[in-house]
Amino acid sequence: MVALAGLDLRVPAGQTFGLLGPNGAGKTTLVKLLLAIAFPTSGRAKVLDRPPGNVRAKARIGYLPENHRYPPHLTGEQVLHHFGRLSGLAREERSRRVTTLLRRVRMEEWSGVRVHKYSKGMMQRLGMAQAILNEPELLILDEPTDGVDPIGRREIRDLLLEQRERGATIFLNSHLLSEVERLCDRVAILKDGVLRREGRVEDLTRAKSAFQIEVRSASPGVLEAVAARVPGLTVAENPGPGGLPGGAGPGATSFRGTWLELSGDVPALNGAIDALRRQGVEIASIQPRRDSLEDVFVRVLEEGEPQ
Amino acid sequence: MKVAAILLDTGRELLYRKTIIVYFGVVTLVLLFFVLALQTDVANGVIASLTVAGLEGSASQGGFRLGDGAEGPGMGGLTAEMFVRYVQLGMAFFLYPLAILMSVFATASLVPRMLEKGTIDLMLSKPITRPALFLSRYAGGALTAALNLLYLTLGLAVILAWKTGVWNGGFVLSGLVMSFFFACLLAFTVLAGVLLRSTTVSIMITAVLFVASLLVRLPHSNRDWPLLITSRASRFLAQAVVETLYYALPRSYELVQSTVALIRHEGSVEWGAIFGSAASGALALALAVVYFSRKDY
Repeated sequence: MVALAGLDLRVPAGQTFGLLGPNGAGKTTLVKLLLAIAFPTSGRAKVLDRPPGNVRAKARIGYLPENHRYPPHLTGEQVLHHFGRLSGLAREERSRRVTTLLRRVRMEEWSGVRVHKYSKGMMQRLGMAQAILNEPELLILDEPTDGVDPIGRREIRDLLLEQRERGATIFLNSHLLSEVERLCDRVAILKDGVLRREGRVEDLTRAKSAFQIEVRSASPGVLEAVAARVPGLTVAENPGPGGLPGGAGPGATSFRGTWLELSGDVPALNGAIDALRRQGVEIASIQPRRDSLEDVFVRVLEEGEPQ
Repeated sequence: MKVAAILLDTGRELLYRKTIIVYFGVVTLVLLFFVLALQTDVANGVIASLTVAGLEGSASQGGFRLGDGAEGPGMGGLTAEMFVRYVQLGMAFFLYPLAILMSVFATASLVPRMLEKGTIDLMLSKPITRPALFLSRYAGGALTAALNLLYLTLGLAVILAWKTGVWNGGFVLSGLVMSFFFACLLAFTVLAGVLLRSTTVSIMITAVLFVASLLVRLPHSNRDWPLLITSRASRFLAQAVVETLYYALPRSYELVQSTVALIRHEGSVEWGAIFGSAASGALALALAVVYFSRKDY
């Protein structure tokens, strides 16, 4: 069985990169190859300009595996000290970082308790602290929010944003597409060990020739009449606080305005604007419509959308 | 520092598993027994009187016994040196097998546990080479077992020296030989662990190899036994199996003999068995390291 085939991927330094794919797509295998936990039958990879498994490179990497297990006989604090020693951190520096990180992931009160008593969420928080203990240049995370409640997910996201601001390159392997969309600069979609799509999140989610128009001071009847005359123009139903159906970009929510959707190119957009203005409709904003990453993901996997 | 981290963690893990604690407790009780219950009166190197937990000792059929049934008063000229050697031989007879057994039970899980999903991924992501990781884990197990044996032998040697004035360094050396023997055996345990990833199977294989290493010495030392087999092919095959096992496994019988020789100050350590066992242990360990270094996890 081939786990990965013909994969050609480059993650620039300082970026947050999301690796997506259904179960069995080869995401974890790729991570394991990068860390020399598994070996390729053919092909080559470089991590931080060194071959996978290089001890010097590994000292600059932080890793949180999926379903990680820590020695059950250790307390949370001992776990961090243990992995800090393995990372080659000197005692004083290690102690300082352990204290800071336990506070940062809100595990101070549990630091003296053996980890076998920890909940899944606590294990993930401790796992994050372990992964960033050596202030890595490259942070590889395999399902970091797996089994974590919404508040915990937000904390982990904040922690990752801090790491990104620090300049770390983040390689994120996650099923939670909304998290990936919020955090990542670039994503790759794997299926059956083959790279199906790769690019900037902004580019992948930009829908071809579709716009969202926010209007004010217009009765529903007027809008319906304009929509009936302009091809591709529809009145969006109940946009709600989460944005328009199909996904809207930042700032799409408006409780005062009404949203129209237009499927068409720029000339069509100008025609729609003219038609609306002729009816005295006030236009508040116009933005290109965006798909959610989930839409893109589903299309790529199920519909086999070409690159 | 990285190797020290693995050694420290391995020691902590073994203590957490309680098996070593039980052994440590048994040995401590034995040592306390000798501290509190043994009273001796030694004059000119001869035991004049001996009391153990209030029971008076006396000479009996070339040795000594406690309480009723003694042949008469006095210790029959038993020297303190002989007394110390008897006690130490007795303790070695009962506690060495217990120490080896407990150590095998405690350490057999070291490798299978390290190879569990979620644990091995994390360990291999750290800046330490696979051979260093594996060997540190092995050394942690061997060191913990050695410390326990040293606790027994050194403790008992010191207590008996205090009670009788006789120091038998051979007993401490015998503990080192047993520690060495366990280290050789552990190499096979970790080899089984890395190949099969099962604690139970590792224990079973270690036990089988230990028994085989004892049994195989008999046909090896008896040159006439192949004559019992009439078929030339079968004879050759049987001889090959016996000799292969003898040289591939630790020389358990000779090592046990060496511990007795050290305690009694009679005979000498069988250096051939020491080097042969070291070679077989090193080979098993090398195979385990090579397999571990190339395996996908």
